[in-house]
Amino acid sequence: MDTLRYGAIEARSPKYWALLIGLGLVAMIGVLSAHHMEVEGHVISGMNNQIVWGMPHVFAVFLIVAASGALNVASIASVFGKTEYKPLGRLSALLAIALLAGGLAVLVLDLGRPDRLIVAMTTYNFKSIFAWNILLYTGFFAIVGFYMWCMMDHAMQKFSKQAGLFAFIWRLVLTTGTGSIFGFLVARSAYDTAMLAPMFIMMSFAIGLAFYIIVMLASYQWSERPIGDLIVNRMRNLLGIFIAAVMYFVAVYHVTNLYATEHHAVEKFLLVDGGIFTQLFWYVQILLGGIVPLALIYAPQTRNCRRSLLAACALVLIGGMAHIYIIIVGGQAFPMEMFPGMEVSSSFFDGEVSAYTPSLWEILLGFGGIAITLLLVTVGVAILDFLPESLADNIVNYKK
Amino acid sequence: MKLGLVVDLDTCVGCNACAVACKQWNTSGTTGPLTDLEPYGKDPTGVWFNRIRNYELGDYPDNKTVHFPMSCMHCEDAACVTVCPTGASYKREEDGIVLVDQDKCMGCNLCAWACPYGARELDPEEGVMKKCTLCVDRIYDEALPEDERQPACVMTCPAHARFFGDFDDPNSEVSRLSRERGGEHLMPELGYKPVNTYLPPRNKPNIPTYKNETNPIEKVKDWVNRLVAR
Repeated sequence: MDTLRYGAIEARSPKYWALLIGLGLVAMIGVLSAHHMEVEGHVISGMNNQIVWGMPHVFAVFLIVAASGALNVASIASVFGKTEYKPLGRLSALLAIALLAGGLAVLVLDLGRPDRLIVAMTTYNFKSIFAWNILLYTGFFAIVGFYMWCMMDHAMQKFSKQAGLFAFIWRLVLTTGTGSIFGFLVARSAYDTAMLAPMFIMMSFAIGLAFYIIVMLASYQWSERPIGDLIVNRMRNLLGIFIAAVMYFVAVYHVTNLYATEHHAVEKFLLVDGGIFTQLFWYVQILLGGIVPLALIYAPQTRNCRRSLLAACALVLIGGMAHIYIIIVGGQAFPMEMFPGMEVSSSFFDGEVSAYTPSLWEILLGFGGIAITLLLVTVGVAILDFLPESLADNIVNYKK
Repeated sequence: MKLGLVVDLDTCVGCNACAVACKQWNTSGTTGPLTDLEPYGKDPTGVWFNRIRNYELGDYPDNKTVHFPMSCMHCEDAACVTVCPTGASYKREEDGIVLVDQDKCMGCNLCAWACPYGARELDPEEGVMKKCTLCVDRIYDEALPEDERQPACVMTCPAHARFFGDFDDPNSEVSRLSRERGGEHLMPELGYKPVNTYLPPRNKPNIPTYKNETNPIEKVKDWVNRLVAR
């Protein structure tokens, strides 16, 4: 049988329930951590007046960036006409929504006053890039939800291509908006560049695809459904291109900064003597998150090995986290230049590199966000027909 | 009206009295409390609207330590107002004071990122952003004598280094001082048009800190001093 059929996965096995309970527990711990920070105040977090965005924001931005990237898999079929990717579209939309929900949960729960989210949803300052992001995130849910409906309902399939195109454009704008939150911050030396928006788009391609591959391979492995090498290897190659593209953008970002004399100090800090940030940059972001995954993807010895692909994906995610940590925390740790050329001192850390040690609560909240994402996917694939019953090569090659 | 402060960097001695008076007034004011964390502990921290920076002007021996009190500059085109997603940060039409609506702020911290002067601080217990209000609850208080309707920092400064007034009025003291002493804004190149103005330190004659050994009078003084010391 060469036809493509979708089906919900069997949700009765002890393995499925163990996964569900495990993810539920992590999510609950995350929510309880947020509650604890809310009750005790942000003073128990590692954040302070110098590092105003910390680990929860790193997790949140990571998941939000991954969300738009995860949707690319569906876009490759609907926008770029690659029919091999068509069977993967439904999961792509589900994962995109779940990732955004996880990321926003972390972001919202870490607000100084999460109970005032309703203010953010009802009162907009349209000059604020953050306000635009709120609209972009809300719109993403609606548009991807509609796109998912078009993919899953035969009666709606005639709108699928248009919905896919609109969702693709929306996701590009969304990631541009996320990158611009930082790009528009002219007060900080590490930002204030239009490069951040396209770099975030490229990061989303790599992180989102890596997340997708892990979820897809795990789902098929655990539900014991067949998945052929054809689609896996196509995604492997695509991931390699995305990783290389991210490294290109990182190089351009730093080279352009190095060209401008006013940014030499911050570049020296990030690339040479920034302590943990420099180490994270070279060892985690570049080596572990870039060079090693590229080697795992393209080395002839590991070319068809799924474990090596999974390892590459995991490393891309770790490297991506490090990249976002350096952008968010590293950019704030570098002292603001209020008196250019002067040596400044004060009793409150002026002229010094700001210290930040993430608290356990922040990290638990971040992992809670990832658990919420995976929980939504785990429940979703068991309730609705998101996954093809087979992704064997003959099914993937099937042309309607 | 364009209300703001003039700070005379020539006379400011960096005593921090303005910061303490600000804290005292505002912690019990409309935006209070200004939460303190471990005030008697090893690393006390808390919310302050006004902080004193110090930097060195020139190289030794021709140097001078400049004390630079910094609070909100009440910028005409404030970055914090631009980035605030809910509009909780706003600039008053009538007098140009930049304020935070404590009931609309959700504590997202983006304004603290955007402000190039580090003038905003999240109250970690209340979860909302706080900043200098130019003592808005004091300067319009008709229960106070007229000469006391000034920000607490201006009232308390022992060196008379702080002045408050309307920059839109060319005859106000702040406008006159700024004009006569060549008042400057901090980082005007960013284009936020800060209102608060700094009067630069005056050039002073060098006071010799070493003895001129070739001066015969100094030699006589030395001889007398040695004699007396015995």
